[in-house]
Amino acid sequence: MTAARLIRIQYFAVLREQAGRSEEQIETAAATPAELYEQVRTAHRFTLPRAMLRVAVNDEFCDWSTPLQPGDRVVFIPPVAGG
Amino acid sequence: MQPFAFSEVPLDAAAYRAALTDPACGGYASFEGWVRDHNEGKRVQRLEYEAFAALAVREGERIVTEAIEKFGVTRAACVHRIGDLRIGELAVWVGVSAPHRGEAFAACRYIIDEVKHRVPIWKKEHYVDGDSGWVNCERCAQAHSPEAEQQDTHGHGREHSLAHAHATDYARQMALPEVGAAGQARLRAASVLVIGAGGLGVPVLQYLTAAGVGRIGIADGDVIEASNLHRQPLYHVADIGQPKAAVASRRLQDLNPDVTVEALSERASAANLPGWLQRYDLVVECSDNFATKFLVNDVAVSLARPAVFASVYQYEGQLQVYLPRAEWPCLRCLWPEAPRDGLVGNCAEAGVLGPVPAALGALQAMQALKILLGLPAEHAPAVHVLDLLGMHWRTLKASRNPGCDHAPRALFAVPADTEALELEYPDLAAAHASGLTLVDIREPWERADDAEGQGIQVHLPLSEILAGAAVLPPDGRYLIVCAHGVRSLALAEHLRAQGYSAYSLAGGLAGVTA
Repeated sequence: MTAARLIRIQYFAVLREQAGRSEEQIETAAATPAELYEQVRTAHRFTLPRAMLRVAVNDEFCDWSTPLQPGDRVVFIPPVAGG
Repeated sequence: MQPFAFSEVPLDAAAYRAALTDPACGGYASFEGWVRDHNEGKRVQRLEYEAFAALAVREGERIVTEAIEKFGVTRAACVHRIGDLRIGELAVWVGVSAPHRGEAFAACRYIIDEVKHRVPIWKKEHYVDGDSGWVNCERCAQAHSPEAEQQDTHGHGREHSLAHAHATDYARQMALPEVGAAGQARLRAASVLVIGAGGLGVPVLQYLTAAGVGRIGIADGDVIEASNLHRQPLYHVADIGQPKAAVASRRLQDLNPDVTVEALSERASAANLPGWLQRYDLVVECSDNFATKFLVNDVAVSLARPAVFASVYQYEGQLQVYLPRAEWPCLRCLWPEAPRDGLVGNCAEAGVLGPVPAALGALQAMQALKILLGLPAEHAPAVHVLDLLGMHWRTLKASRNPGCDHAPRALFAVPADTEALELEYPDLAAAHASGLTLVDIREPWERADDAEGQGIQVHLPLSEILAGAAVLPPDGRYLIVCAHGVRSLALAEHLRAQGYSAYSLAGGLAGVTA
């Protein structure tokens, strides 16, 4: 059993709209950004599958399987096209 | 004494000289610049000097420090007069003391030459015949074309010379030490292609034109609509219905007649963009759709042109620069799966406040100028994500994706058949009677409390289809249905490209039940 970590998450664009907030701090057992996204996707009813997003951990784009550390700041970003 | 100073009162050369004496010095050299009574054939009565003191003093100090280091002199200083001066008055003084005369002369010459060249000081001559005119300092004059210089010496009317000075005066940006006359010349020699003259493109075009970028191309195939004006204030109500590229080009030409503006009244495509971009140094991507953004990326990468991208969504924006360097990520490094327009975002057209694209467009113009001027800015690959509601700016470091070969790819498979994708029905009963299988792609919570989709048997949320979790049998004929017809159109096109027989319900459920 993985220990819960305190993670700060930021949402952008349609994710912010669907979550109804731009950021939140959660205790999670998710070990990777991929697991974390599945968790919040269910909670916030996000329509976008993970494949269409990018994730940045501590202000750097990274792989979905990067191990999460307590206190990490995770940003989920969908592509946007408006001009 | 200060290495460099301005004085509003007459200069006291004897006092300055005294401040430079030093027992170790065997030589002292000085230069004095005086107000003379003629310039280019005109009789001059008096002069006025003006300077941007803060910037000018910094640059002046830099010059004196350079001279001391370069020539190994002991002490050096320069004082420049500002305000009203009479004929014969001392306008500028330079003094240098050194162990030997050689370096004293050399440093003195260096200081006066560099001050005249680099320090932003303006001189207004008042002529005996009552006329007057601004005479640009050397650093400003260099950016003027020979024709403009010609006009300067012949057009002596006060109004004429002032109007002319306004029309071509880049003094405030040239006053930046990193820009200067050399930077202005670089801008004049540069060319920029702007894709899209909308919310992002308008500020990009305005600032690049105003900055004196030599040649600017505007690619936009749209006409001006009433709903554009709140975020595209380059256009007027009277322009509605006119082609954007043509109107923008007229307005920009009025803003700065020095710039060559080229209107390309066509939507950028794989057919025209490579030919266009070949003729420009840099591209600024200001369109409103993924297809164009990825096309611009592919062409910029293949032609090794820097590209500045931005996009907005409601109160947010993303900004990214591509530089043609081996280790630099392109748009596809970040988004290996180019999103199909309509599939990402909300179901209705996203709203936007004018200042959001304006802010991002201004940042694009800034990034373009930094690249063109070669400013000593940090150019690390990153995506800047701005939230203008919460006022947050995050800079997310990006790197080259080893799986991306930086090669252009077809964006999306294009449907082979040209049969209409959208079908219109007066009501849902008529849609059912069409014989097509209706597929409701709304998410479960959108369907929770409505009666609109009643009678539809197949429910496949778009999120599951996109994630690959739901697949339609390939042999059916489908009418894709969502709330407003945006997502269904994108999905129908996507399915059609994969060989499905798929259509989209025009206007969505909102359209048939209204």
